[in-house]
Amino acid sequence: MRARYSLYLFTLPALLVIGLFFVHPILLTFDMSFTNFAGIGEAKEVGWRNYDRIISRDRYLREVWLTLWYTVIVVSALTVTGLFFAAMLHRLPLIRNFSRAALYTPAMMSFVVVGYVWQFLYSPLNGGINVALRDLGLGAWEQNWLGDPSIALYSVAFTQVWMFTGFTCAIFLAGFAGIPEEIGEAGRLEGASSWQRFRYLELPLLGPSVTVSVMLTTIGTLKTFELPFILTKGGPDGATRLLSIDIIDNLFGQYKFGFASALSIVMLVIVLTVAFLQNKVLRDRENAS
Amino acid sequence: MTKPMTSVFAIALAAALATGATAAPTVLDVVAWKGNEAEPAGLPELIEAFEAAHPDIDIDLTFVARKDVDKVIPPRLQGGNPPDVTMVDSALVDLWGGAGFLTDLGTDSPWYDRMIPAVREVMTRDGQILVYPLEVIGMGNFVNMDLLAQAGIDKAPVTIDELKSACQALSDKGIAPMIFAGGFPAMLFVGANGIDPNGISPAEYGSGARQFVDDANFNAALDGVRDLVAAECFDPELQAGLDPWATAPQEFRAGNVAILPQGAWNIGNFAAVDGLNFQFAPMPSRYVEQGLALDLVGPGWAIPRDAAHKDAARKWVDFFAEEANLDVFLRAEGAYSPYAGGVSTMPDLAAPYTAARDANSLILWPFSTLEFPKILQSEWEDSITGFLLNIDAPNEDTLERWDFAIEDSM
Repeated sequence: MRARYSLYLFTLPALLVIGLFFVHPILLTFDMSFTNFAGIGEAKEVGWRNYDRIISRDRYLREVWLTLWYTVIVVSALTVTGLFFAAMLHRLPLIRNFSRAALYTPAMMSFVVVGYVWQFLYSPLNGGINVALRDLGLGAWEQNWLGDPSIALYSVAFTQVWMFTGFTCAIFLAGFAGIPEEIGEAGRLEGASSWQRFRYLELPLLGPSVTVSVMLTTIGTLKTFELPFILTKGGPDGATRLLSIDIIDNLFGQYKFGFASALSIVMLVIVLTVAFLQNKVLRDRENAS
Repeated sequence: MTKPMTSVFAIALAAALATGATAAPTVLDVVAWKGNEAEPAGLPELIEAFEAAHPDIDIDLTFVARKDVDKVIPPRLQGGNPPDVTMVDSALVDLWGGAGFLTDLGTDSPWYDRMIPAVREVMTRDGQILVYPLEVIGMGNFVNMDLLAQAGIDKAPVTIDELKSACQALSDKGIAPMIFAGGFPAMLFVGANGIDPNGISPAEYGSGARQFVDDANFNAALDGVRDLVAAECFDPELQAGLDPWATAPQEFRAGNVAILPQGAWNIGNFAAVDGLNFQFAPMPSRYVEQGLALDLVGPGWAIPRDAAHKDAARKWVDFFAEEANLDVFLRAEGAYSPYAGGVSTMPDLAAPYTAARDANSLILWPFSTLEFPKILQSEWEDSITGFLLNIDAPNEDTLERWDFAIEDSM
């Protein structure tokens, strides 16, 4: 009993840090969301007006939907590409280390650098992608990658997937490393093809890695801000205006700290809900397999 | 033996006390989003001159990027530990001044009556002037004269007809005539053709007293955009989402496009490109024959209410108010003086723009004077982009959004 109490005592410093730097700011933000604070001077109470505005305006509901849809696209793509490259590299030990480093390099670059480079690549006038397509005789495939509202979101998502495929690949490679070799050996002896070994032997055992990868990429993507901001600033005409961009615009563009706080609380609720549901589904799936 | 030693000691002590009594120089804490290597704005030279003229004051200039000023300065203002002088623009004057954190510089200041009347009027709130405006910076068309020459044109277009003719001629030669990105360049044209310099004040729209949706001027401005499209000035769908701050200037620098609506702050950048022969011209407008200069009221100096060295801060402000010193700043900035009749320090390539200003063919950009609220600016950017993507949609689809934004701001 005494030992158990001692164990709890050891968690106090960590709890203190979490309380001070995580819980307390959230409570302050929640408090500010009921005001019309402009970042300086006095904050006047406005009750639920900020939340009422969020719920009653199509614009903000559309941003919530865009943020969720963007997350679905990016997380799905990152999981598939990460798994694909990890499965390939698991079978190619000679180039595995070099390839893993090469794939991970974009993730180590600054968002600003990546954003500006891809902005030039995507430029409709003389951008790298359109020029390359033209030179390859594929001029018909040229697009206004960031200027066409129907594809701008996917262009931004592609850049994010390009940037973080190495990250998910590294997670899955670690998962592959944890699979006993005997299982693959047994599959080969039984005559299973490479795809069959992957589908029926390796994939179920990669459950924990899938959980970690999906959870981390979901949480990171839900609050993503830098790439959409640099590439499109939420345009064209709101086609890529995620919730995070509107929060920053209200905070430092319009000095509506109170309203931005309300948007932040809404985003926090969404992130927590998605993370909770996802964790439950994935863990149940792990336990079932 | 003891008496001489005592005398020496007494003299030494007196000398030490006297040195201490001659106070150390006052260190003036100045914060600005200019003065670094990328944007010196003549500040290093001016600091040296100021310190030479005021040996009792040392300047400690801290560069803080404009986007970081919102985060760095308010806590200092509220904590009672502000810089002695801070650079501000109209939005910050409204915010910080409105909260009572800036000092009234006094409408009896010697420089106050010399200001351009329109600038003086918008900067004075409730009988107080909380900022010394340093510059008025132009926004108009950058025109590549070599590309125009290839199309047989030797003059920057300053009327709508000249612009349309130039576009046609350039297009016939296979030269991309114009950048018209929705985010900023398009706004300049729409503003220049929606705001009559001798007509309705932008403040009427900004206050909600007049609506955009039924307004003849702004409907005509959007129709004017369609006319430019018909004259093959640009492909609206291709350019709607073009980035106006990095990609668009780069296209102009590379000589890929003949006309770029942008701000005069790009003059130094473009002038550094070898072989780029360009002029800075006013925006063609249906209201005037010599083009309309779109003047943006630039940043200025403000003294926080709780500044520790107010007297020294005032000397700093007054130093910049002297034309000889201000001209150093303006020349480096490529900007115009805030004084009526102030000497122009603009280069010859800005002659068309300067000529329009001299002919009083100008408006103060309403977003810089806060006659249009900030929320309307992002709505203009978004909605004009949307308009370019669907150029045949009714004008009211765009103009209504501006009216909703005005409502939201109130």
